[in-house]
Amino acid sequence: MQRLISTLAFFILLPLILSGNSNNQGLQEKFIISGYVRDQTNGEVLAGVTVSDNILKRGTATNAYGYYSITLPSGKYELQYSYIGYKTVRKQVDTDQNITIDISLDLADNQLNEVIVTGKRTDENVRSTEMSIARIDSKTIGRIPALLGEIDLVKVIQLLPGVQPTSEGSSGFSVRGGSSDQNLILLDEATIYNASHLLGFFSVFNNDAVKDVTLYKGDIPTAYGGRLSSLLDVRMKDGNSKKFSGTGSIGTISSKLTLEGPIIKDRTTFLLAGRRTYADLFLPLAKDENIRDNKLYFYDLNFKLSHVIDENNRLFLSGYAGRDIFKNQFGTIGFGNRTASLRWNHLFSKKLFFNMSLIYSRYDYSIGTPPGDENAFTWTSKLRDYSARFDFTHYLSDTHTLKYGATTTFHEFFPGTASGSGNGVFTSFFLPAEYVLEHSLYLSDEFKATRNLTLKYGLRLAVFQNIGPGTYYNYDINHTPVDSTVYHKGNIFNTYVSFEPRIAVNYLINDKSSVKGSYLHTSQFFTLAQNSTAGTPLDVWFPATPNVKPQLCDQLSFGYFRNLDQNKYEFSSEVYYKNLRNVIDFRDHAQLLLNQYLEGEIRIGSGYSYGLETIIRKNEGRMTGWISYTYSRSFRIIPEINNGNRYNAPYDKPHAISIVTSYDFSKRLNASATWVYATGLPVTFPTGRAVIGNAIIPIYSDRNAYRMTDYHRLDLSLTLKGKEKTGKKWHGEWNLSVYNAYNRHNSWSINFTHDVNDPNVTYAEKTYLFSVIPAISYNVKF
Amino acid sequence: MRSEKTIISGLLLAMIAVSCTERINIDLDNSYTRLVVDGTITTETKAHKVILSETSSYFYNQPAPMVSGAQVTITDGENTIDLTEGSPGIYSTQPSVHGIPGHTYSLRIILPVEIGGYTGYTASSLLNPVNPLDSIRLRFRPEFSKEGFWEVQCYVQDPPSSDFYRFLISRNQKLITDTLQEWFVTDDRFFNGSYTNGASIAELDQSKPEEKLSEGDTITAEVNNIGKDYANFIWDAQSELFGSNPLFSGPPSNVKGNISNGAIGFFAAYSVTRSKAITHAIKR
Repeated sequence: MQRLISTLAFFILLPLILSGNSNNQGLQEKFIISGYVRDQTNGEVLAGVTVSDNILKRGTATNAYGYYSITLPSGKYELQYSYIGYKTVRKQVDTDQNITIDISLDLADNQLNEVIVTGKRTDENVRSTEMSIARIDSKTIGRIPALLGEIDLVKVIQLLPGVQPTSEGSSGFSVRGGSSDQNLILLDEATIYNASHLLGFFSVFNNDAVKDVTLYKGDIPTAYGGRLSSLLDVRMKDGNSKKFSGTGSIGTISSKLTLEGPIIKDRTTFLLAGRRTYADLFLPLAKDENIRDNKLYFYDLNFKLSHVIDENNRLFLSGYAGRDIFKNQFGTIGFGNRTASLRWNHLFSKKLFFNMSLIYSRYDYSIGTPPGDENAFTWTSKLRDYSARFDFTHYLSDTHTLKYGATTTFHEFFPGTASGSGNGVFTSFFLPAEYVLEHSLYLSDEFKATRNLTLKYGLRLAVFQNIGPGTYYNYDINHTPVDSTVYHKGNIFNTYVSFEPRIAVNYLINDKSSVKGSYLHTSQFFTLAQNSTAGTPLDVWFPATPNVKPQLCDQLSFGYFRNLDQNKYEFSSEVYYKNLRNVIDFRDHAQLLLNQYLEGEIRIGSGYSYGLETIIRKNEGRMTGWISYTYSRSFRIIPEINNGNRYNAPYDKPHAISIVTSYDFSKRLNASATWVYATGLPVTFPTGRAVIGNAIIPIYSDRNAYRMTDYHRLDLSLTLKGKEKTGKKWHGEWNLSVYNAYNRHNSWSINFTHDVNDPNVTYAEKTYLFSVIPAISYNVKF
Repeated sequence: MRSEKTIISGLLLAMIAVSCTERINIDLDNSYTRLVVDGTITTETKAHKVILSETSSYFYNQPAPMVSGAQVTITDGENTIDLTEGSPGIYSTQPSVHGIPGHTYSLRIILPVEIGGYTGYTASSLLNPVNPLDSIRLRFRPEFSKEGFWEVQCYVQDPPSSDFYRFLISRNQKLITDTLQEWFVTDDRFFNGSYTNGASIAELDQSKPEEKLSEGDTITAEVNNIGKDYANFIWDAQSELFGSNPLFSGPPSNVKGNISNGAIGFFAAYSVTRSKAITHAIKR
């Protein structure tokens, strides 16, 4: 209780104290310069543009909606707006009153037309308090060679230090040794519960509809929480406000079309993007009758409408729908996400930016065997979120920027319903629905204490509540269900409160280098019931309950950041340590699907991870890219697993290297290459055998005591653009790519089996998914 | 429920049919030797067997080393039955013995020399009753593969209790499902307390010579009510033998049996009921 009171005091008093300060400290009168920063060509607002003055050098950056506000004492200044890849704009201002300055930035022309653009301000790497973070825009993503030529932002994220795919070709990712369900994935603020298509080989994000992506591996903003490891914040484009335009591509496995443009000039814009794979469109030509009716495809639809009501009010409506459909003679599987977000930006004053969001998110799957059969069944599972967010950015003074707000979400879980669809052999079977309320309150302050020292500190108060109706089983110490409790509708029968302090410090050693540190506490109330490394679309999310406590993580990071050769090269090196509590794993041979006693399969313990991440990155010139090396370890200690001995966490990969390069031969021709290396994933192998029922039963080593063979792979791509002519409205480019160029047979799994001819002989067999995979696509812009 | 899992695995794995396999060499450590027990007692009147062997290194590539000279007894608390060793490691009761539903049977083994640090091992198992099968029916399913499948459907009243069944299939009195991988085990979650009305209990793949049926073949289905622990044992062993992949498989782990002192294996008591059907001509 005492903690609660002190927390509330923090929330209420801090803004008061700070605003008091800022009012008193001004001997000179101060004025506000504020506005939006946009791209000159398409009118998209730009997030993260640095705005700084030439005298006090007090910089700020535009927020996610392109808004900035800077407070300066009266006087003459030169304001500088800079963003890598764009021409820096300098603006003379005479501050004798509050001024609104909207700025449009033009793509830099001293560089090649579509140069790789990464990062933000030229010295953002060193100056920002942010650490353990990576921002990538859709252009960079588009240049990196991709599996089957299908450009994918998640695959690019996996090339960054500290991020690894969960298995070959998977769009699941592990951040700093964490599980893939410890990543909060947001698309325009709506949670994406399963970001995978086609068993993970592709992610749900259509790059043509994406503006930018930010991955927070640590130092997660206080506005967000609910996952232990990371936040992947994906923002959709708002739509071109200058002219009607489009992009399209015809690729090896899919085609895409994006249309965008103004509906009311400079006020209302739209974006509509679609993608569909079409491998199955050729199936009717197949000789085998069984295959002709098969279906195998996925699609994504993105939609956005932006409207400027007036100077102080803007509305954004965005939506996403995607689905995988797979059908063969055995049955049909469909799964997908749907999201919608309605956002309202409002300026209470030049200093107080407000955003309210109403968000809907849903994930579901269904499986059915052909109806009519005695054994026919259908099986569905679904979850839905309804959320509201209230976020304030308060540019309190030239030294303090506050961010505060509140969120509330109602979660519905329908983990599984299975019923017979045939002649009634099967009775129906369903798992009880679960309902959850989740709230949060947060406040953070970025304080420019001195010219060299910036502090960011904040607190997030997260509240989780199980609410009826619901049926919950009670378990004995052997995890056997003994009885159940039924709760009525509206009965809040369990509450967890989590206090999550977050602190970040940046000390600027000089203009070229800085040291940073951060601490954060995160909690996670939802877990994916998955004990395989890559998982399937059928894995279900389950909430915390009186039986399942929230998982907790404390993370400490330190880093050294340095820019070289006039900011051409960015270097950083970070170390981190994470301590995890209430870590969830599952018993041996756990049954996670359609199991009403799922909580009886859970085993709880602790874990820890540590590591070193180093990256050197070049953002300018003909040759761009990065080289990164990661050392990371991750362990779990769970009393009832592996005899209580420490074991390697499922994503413990000690060494990882990635080299990403792109070279512009001319304005028309670009070549890119990536090479990745990682230690093999930990696995459990047999160390003995027993014969029972005429079968050879393996006897295993300690859990995860062995490793898969090392993973490495080279991918290449070549992009050739059509000739540029003035007045030409149609710009085309060819993209050729090769995945796994030197045909490395990386192990996807290693199995032990017996010889067909001599059942006493056992041997090991590896399965690999990909040989050399070439692909070609043609992209157009108009 | 496992059959649904198989169908789903089939559906999902077909999506990644692009994979290839190759044999590789791996160095494995050897863990210590343990006793392996594979024993049953059923309601049939026959010589019931308990097989004792030892674990070996994984790439041992020979038949399992058998354990001879042990004293093996089975008791239901009233009668104690001594088993005698025929072939090395294979211990049998007299042929006149049968188990009684509702009794709990205990196995006691005393070894001549220590294995895994112990000479004495015990296990016990409750013999559950089973409702007699009304009938089975054979149905040809051409749609699932080129050669098609014969599906064996069963008709039996399931009692209201939570039950676990094993189905074994014989063709002309010869057991086809003769290894643990081929045993079909299911719980009654989807038909608890109901009439099964043709639920599938086996699929005989006509592309496999040992499962191929001809017109006039007599098919016998045996149903055992095996209890939860033995069902879990079989399921767990099957999942280890099915092979693992990053999509479905949890970490491989040891199969937990019911023998004391860290021995591997299971001593199972169960009831038996059978029904027959004759293969008819395939109507294509």
